[in-house]
Amino acid sequence: MQCDFIFRLKGILEFACQLDNSNGAQSQSTISKSFQDLRSKVSSKNIVFTVCNSPVLIWPNAGFQSSVESLTEASACGDILQCIESDDGGRKKSSKKKDKKKSGPTVVNMKLLFEVTEPAGDEAPSLIRVSTQQHCVKMPLPLDCTLSVTTDESLATVCTGLVEALNKQLADMEEVVLRYRKGSSFLVPQPFHFQLPKPAGLITVIYPAGVPDSQLQAVREDLHRKFKLPCDRPYLRRANAFHFPDAAYKDGYLRNPHIHLNPPNIEDAKLYLVQGVYSYHHYMQDHVDDNGWGCAYRSLQTIFSWFQQQGYVETAVPTHTQIQQALVDVGDKEPRFVSSRQWIGSIEVQAVLNQLLGVTSKIMFVSQGSELATKGRELANHFQTEGTPVMIGGGILAHTILGVVWSENTGQIRFLILDPHYTGGEDLQTITDKGWCGWKGPEFWDQNAYYNLCLPQRPKTI
Amino acid sequence: MGRSYFVDEAVEEYLSGLQAAPGSCVTGLLAGQSSPQRDFVVLAVQTPHMESEGQPKASKGVSPLDDIDVEWVTEHAKQVSRMLPGGLCILGLFLVTPPELSKDAQNALKRLIFAMDKYIIKGRLWELSEEDVTDRVTLHICFKTKKLVCKTFDVKDPKSSAKPADWKYQTGISSSWPMLACSVEVDLQIPVTGSSSDNTDKCMKDGLRRWAKPIEAAYCLINGRQALDDSELISGQVKTLSFLCHVDSTEQSELDERSSALVQVCSGSMRVRGVVHCRAYIHNNKPKARHAAQAIKRDIINTVCSRVEMFLEDLLINEGSQKGAVVHHVLHVLLKGMVHPKMTILSSVTHSHVVAHVFVFLLYAVHKRRYFEEY
Repeated sequence: MQCDFIFRLKGILEFACQLDNSNGAQSQSTISKSFQDLRSKVSSKNIVFTVCNSPVLIWPNAGFQSSVESLTEASACGDILQCIESDDGGRKKSSKKKDKKKSGPTVVNMKLLFEVTEPAGDEAPSLIRVSTQQHCVKMPLPLDCTLSVTTDESLATVCTGLVEALNKQLADMEEVVLRYRKGSSFLVPQPFHFQLPKPAGLITVIYPAGVPDSQLQAVREDLHRKFKLPCDRPYLRRANAFHFPDAAYKDGYLRNPHIHLNPPNIEDAKLYLVQGVYSYHHYMQDHVDDNGWGCAYRSLQTIFSWFQQQGYVETAVPTHTQIQQALVDVGDKEPRFVSSRQWIGSIEVQAVLNQLLGVTSKIMFVSQGSELATKGRELANHFQTEGTPVMIGGGILAHTILGVVWSENTGQIRFLILDPHYTGGEDLQTITDKGWCGWKGPEFWDQNAYYNLCLPQRPKTI
Repeated sequence: MGRSYFVDEAVEEYLSGLQAAPGSCVTGLLAGQSSPQRDFVVLAVQTPHMESEGQPKASKGVSPLDDIDVEWVTEHAKQVSRMLPGGLCILGLFLVTPPELSKDAQNALKRLIFAMDKYIIKGRLWELSEEDVTDRVTLHICFKTKKLVCKTFDVKDPKSSAKPADWKYQTGISSSWPMLACSVEVDLQIPVTGSSSDNTDKCMKDGLRRWAKPIEAAYCLINGRQALDDSELISGQVKTLSFLCHVDSTEQSELDERSSALVQVCSGSMRVRGVVHCRAYIHNNKPKARHAAQAIKRDIINTVCSRVEMFLEDLLINEGSQKGAVVHHVLHVLLKGMVHPKMTILSSVTHSHVVAHVFVFLLYAVHKRRYFEEY
């Protein structure tokens, strides 16, 4: 069943407690008591949900009071959209192609607030001083709950669901805090959302801050078992976290520009595409002027970004210099290669992926560009099983292949190409309109040149 | 163009009834509310005589102006400002002198006004906004001729010079000022590191500062609607007031960097809890909803701060008189001699609407009970 809305509620609660000594069962019960107090707080009638960019305020635990008369318990949650002031100061840039794409669920962002002017008691202020030595522990808990619903779900259900989600998240956070506590050192429990295959949908996992993914293998194994996820590819590494449609990427690179294109309509043909998320790397980015020599490096960066964003590695996409250094390190190049403007090819790409990521790649050779039209099956298989972007180098150019449309019967084929030779800015419209990311036919290749393709293989790991 | 001070007639009465020994000076405070266009003065109160034991102090200088005890004047100002309800503050000082001292009065007033403002704002937890008026008024009255000289100084500029200002009397200035009231529950746990009282003070200040930030940033709802904008607050229409806060003051950027808890080894902790009742008045010259919200937020912060300050002063006084690890103090501070004898005067000069609610705390050291008295 399609979910139309994701309600996302964020807020920060402060966890605080005083420990007389750092260890022992007494500390545990003190910590648990503090969490219990926080759970009471979110179940109290003083909590208020506000919908961002709107005047909507809802008291979910006080008989569902709402600040907007038209929104009541029984209102369909979709009605909230009418109250939200959209902040699109800029024009929506979209080529006509983009409009045809199905858009995902709408995210409604909410914040958690507390009403401080409804005191439960009436005692006059007093000051209590405790003069024993203690460890005072304070930590912000970054609450972040989601609820996926259809458009006709009532607001009352949404709010009850969110209050439950808050309680559950606090309980999950308590578990993580206790499990990773060492004496009086506490790690901040951080929520991560993951979009899993149905029926699980969007789930939230709490990971302790500062503990790298490599040390959380056992936790992921448990969760893979629980949600019946395949055990050969990562779903729950931090990099796999769900990217909310309304959130911008901080690094500024475009993600998956190809989704804004319509695949060519070839009779009897099927679509085989890269799986997951990559960033578009191309000439002139990062203040590096590699116009004329850096195309293979950029394709390699695109591939690296795929491995990073699917969670296989936590390191950043390498620079040209780091790529060159990797080749020197494996003995493939002399030290003076570093900081030069020498081209690299598929073999070097394969070597660097192995050296920096531990990823193996298959190399496919075609003696003439015209032969590429016959490689439909291999490419289709690659995208189906591995799903990684493919680097192709030949003649004097390098490109990235992101997918094919291929008919097993007629052999007709089209290639989805991401072109690293683009020198402009991260302007999606230009990139798609001018074909820097676009579908090309077999005539795109130099029919006489020979080509090498590097097909990176997914490591079998979670 | 100078500022305009609209002054309640009751203040005129008070000022003209002041007594002074021949050749001596009288100082006092002027309280009210400033708005960007004009200022309203609703209260005047003379600096009380300090009850001195033993010999009266020898004259310091050549003129009675030099004898003005700046510390005493500023202490009085601080105590009175603590007691003013939200929206009202000390707007300036008056000085009554015999005719022969009139020409030196301006210098004396300038010294006093800067010293007073500096002392009052010490320890204040909220920041002034751009719209806040930083001019303070000095009023010089010649005892013999009753002539008034009214000038203002911009207290945020130490080099500022006196600017002329208008002083106009009117009836019933504050009679229709809307009042906002609310009760806020406070429950602060503040760790104390180190053992000196300076440490305690600093820890309390830091803890209060953290507590005050979400209050300052809170959504304020007046009659259920957010008081964000420049919509007018209409007198008589304020029925409900509530504050909605983000619970924690942690900034997002701080949150991104924080991966573990902040752990402090403390020599103890202080917990402040209870309910404070706050109120604020807002002038009725086209007041804006967000100014009203700001006034009461500041009152909440000031109220809690001054209670804590008084608790700590009390603790210092009573240090060592209690045994045991847990010491429970309920606040009592005696303001006798500072303001108490003047309370009757306070209530008669001010319009009953405005400073009718002033709290006085009386000390009952033996019984440890707390009293509020409303005049």
